[in-house]
Amino acid sequence: MTTDTTLAAQSTRAIVDRVRDVSARGGSLRIVGQGTWLDAGRPVRATETLTVREHSGIVDYVPGDLTLTARAGTTFAEIRDATAAHNQWLAMDPAGSDTGTIGATIATASAGPLSSAFGLPRDLVLGVEFVTGAGSVVRGGGRVVKNVAGFDLTRLITGAWGTLGVITEVTVRLHARPGADETCAVRLAGKRDDAARVRQFLRRVPFTPYACELLDASTAGSITGEARTLALFRLGGNPEAVRAQRTSLRELGDVMELGMDVWTRLRAVEPERAIVFRMSQLPSKLDDLWSVAVRVSEKCPGTIIHARPARGLVRCIVPQTDENGAWLSRHFAERTAYTRTGERMPAELWAACSAPPTTDPLSRGIKATFDPNNVFNPGIFGE
Amino acid sequence: MTAAAAPSIDQALAARLAEIVGERRVLFRPSELLTYTSDGLPSYFKQPAMAVFPGTRDELVAVVRELARRAVPFVPRGAGTGLSGGALAEGVVLVGLNRLTRILSVDAENGLAVVEPGVINAALSRAVAPLGLHYAPDPSSQAACTIGGNVAENAGGPHCLKYGVTTNHVVALTAVLPNGEIVTLGNAQGENAGYDLVGAFVGSEGCFGIALDITVRLSRNPETVRTLLADFMSIESAAHAVSSIVATGIVPAALEMIDQATIRAVESSIYAAGYPTDAAAALLIEVDGATAGIEHDVETIEQLCREHGARTVRVARDEAERTRLWQGRKKAFGAMGRVSSHLVVQDAVVPRTRLPDVLARIHEIGERHRVKVCNVFHAGDGNLHPNIAYNAADPDETARVHRAMGEIMRACVAAGGTITGEHGVGLDKLPYMELIFSADSLAAMCSLREVFDPQRRANPGKVVPVHSCREWHAAPSARPGQVA
Repeated sequence: MTTDTTLAAQSTRAIVDRVRDVSARGGSLRIVGQGTWLDAGRPVRATETLTVREHSGIVDYVPGDLTLTARAGTTFAEIRDATAAHNQWLAMDPAGSDTGTIGATIATASAGPLSSAFGLPRDLVLGVEFVTGAGSVVRGGGRVVKNVAGFDLTRLITGAWGTLGVITEVTVRLHARPGADETCAVRLAGKRDDAARVRQFLRRVPFTPYACELLDASTAGSITGEARTLALFRLGGNPEAVRAQRTSLRELGDVMELGMDVWTRLRAVEPERAIVFRMSQLPSKLDDLWSVAVRVSEKCPGTIIHARPARGLVRCIVPQTDENGAWLSRHFAERTAYTRTGERMPAELWAACSAPPTTDPLSRGIKATFDPNNVFNPGIFGE
Repeated sequence: MTAAAAPSIDQALAARLAEIVGERRVLFRPSELLTYTSDGLPSYFKQPAMAVFPGTRDELVAVVRELARRAVPFVPRGAGTGLSGGALAEGVVLVGLNRLTRILSVDAENGLAVVEPGVINAALSRAVAPLGLHYAPDPSSQAACTIGGNVAENAGGPHCLKYGVTTNHVVALTAVLPNGEIVTLGNAQGENAGYDLVGAFVGSEGCFGIALDITVRLSRNPETVRTLLADFMSIESAAHAVSSIVATGIVPAALEMIDQATIRAVESSIYAAGYPTDAAAALLIEVDGATAGIEHDVETIEQLCREHGARTVRVARDEAERTRLWQGRKKAFGAMGRVSSHLVVQDAVVPRTRLPDVLARIHEIGERHRVKVCNVFHAGDGNLHPNIAYNAADPDETARVHRAMGEIMRACVAAGGTITGEHGVGLDKLPYMELIFSADSLAAMCSLREVFDPQRRANPGKVVPVHSCREWHAAPSARPGQVA
């Protein structure tokens, strides 16, 4: 059970003291950034909450270095505003909104459409500072774009869901804004081979779009107003390159212009009460995954789906009803040839969605090393 | 815990290993081991007690298990081209992986290949070239170095500015842990769940185990590649040109700086590339991607170089000219070999905006210690390679070189940098680890190593100073006041 007492930790020192205190008392902590995803239903058993939201602010930003160091509770909005002033940006767009924090994003390795071109959080994070379960302050990586000094604690912490330490500070790689950055969509036929056509198009063309998402008619309807299957593109580069990219989209179908705000709507497309999960496989199997998702949407009314072909990933957003939950619980029990990753669902569905991923001896050894008393986010991996 | 006291590396072990790999593949006579007493860095010589060269995955696993059974420390070694002394095996068993050279599979549609650790970096790119693909990390030693060695060091290369280093290109791997257990890390077929164990393993410098097979991402060959050479009358103006190019939003495929001392070494060698020998510095810049729009980027870069004082900007007209320009850069270390018998190579990284003052500081340090520093490096990343060629037979010169190197390293760290960007810590950078990491951070690294290798038998004594590896998490309250 989580108590409602929330401590807004002001500094790394305060977090250290808090962790040592809780550990000494035999308690445990649920680590919280902005608290946006607390209703995601992850089965965390913690006695107390540690909020890093107030532990915020940009620590170091030299625009010419294209790197930025910020406290964990710094929001994307703060980073966006600071970097935009220098015509730069952090190419991360996880689900949710810019009120999300950089610490939570790195801790959960959450990625959005831009990961098609810019990679996952593991590819953009350069250094971290974190507090271990024993209350030690540890740094991995650094503030430079290339670094192989020592074992890679940075990637180890990225995506560890706070189970190995409380991230207090993060250094990320930035990019300079391109001369042109445009959004448009291609109208697709709404047929079985839509996914295959988009995937083949991406393999054929000599450029990598900043983002390419395949939207089913429901998703497209709710974010663009046009309820038909769409391939949504974000094209970046110099103006001449972007013009040529746009021209080549016509090979795929009829092109419509869209504003950049469509990406903001896609990030926030899920309703508050929803069951959300992703399926991933080799990109060449995207067609199969898309078919599975279409079946989910047929069985669970109101489901919307979108896919990220470059990463071989399909995301299903299912309204949370008893019927949908019951059907999904049977569906999750079927054997699959793909990887399923839960994002948000009622507590009872988590176990069915995916097996705990940290039960192998190495993962258990790492957990025991960094958090020997199991203080951080116990149960969050379903373990 | 430490390795078992005095494990016996003796005739009995040699005989047992010979049963696994064949007699010819076990070396223990000093004369036979001479080749393996150094790596790519010609300043350390350490004699292994024995060397064993398995030819198959099964042989490799059997060798590691035999060493585990006897608690014998070992050092994995690829091609031995490393520049940190990381593959030296003083008094222990060297496990050579250069016979495990099979490319196990190539999946062109998904851009993946599965390779054995001894596959040579450039051989993989050659093998997949007919499919329009290549393996992006391209260390200068790519004609000889192995993918397994690249994984151990998290190797980089000039084109990592745009495409990322080794860890950005490894999606999964199977490894044999030092205790002989086989583990699969990562997920080649979808998202990784749980801890990023691939991320932890890549760059672990042979301390976490030996990769048996490695699944790497292949990159599509660009439609067009354009290579430029701009020469400058001062290093500072070249450094400013670098910053201005990066600030435009163009991500060059490579952005390399070569200083006058290096240019002269290259131009007087068989690798002469036609670099202007009177220039203070030259930038080798490459952009690649779709043909449409690329000339726009080339023109922008050309103009920025001129605005920052470039004397001439030459755009390679054809593939032959492009290859020649690159040859000079990639063989620069080789060319320095002609200057003197020994070479120290550094690999520090500094924030890009600090390049002009750090380069000035390096020059000043070189002058003061009367040593000749050659700079040839990845300017776009701020990854410096100040090299000093010297005569190791001269104790006075050797001492001056080492003092200069220590000062250069400290200057880079003081500028907010790190001690190694792509070569690894190995033995060579070990004394500098405490400049950039706190005792707790080093202890955390030691503890991570012990998860993979509780006895610390794999590549003993490398990466993290031994005295940092005390008991760490047991008594936190006893060590207050250590917040960074």
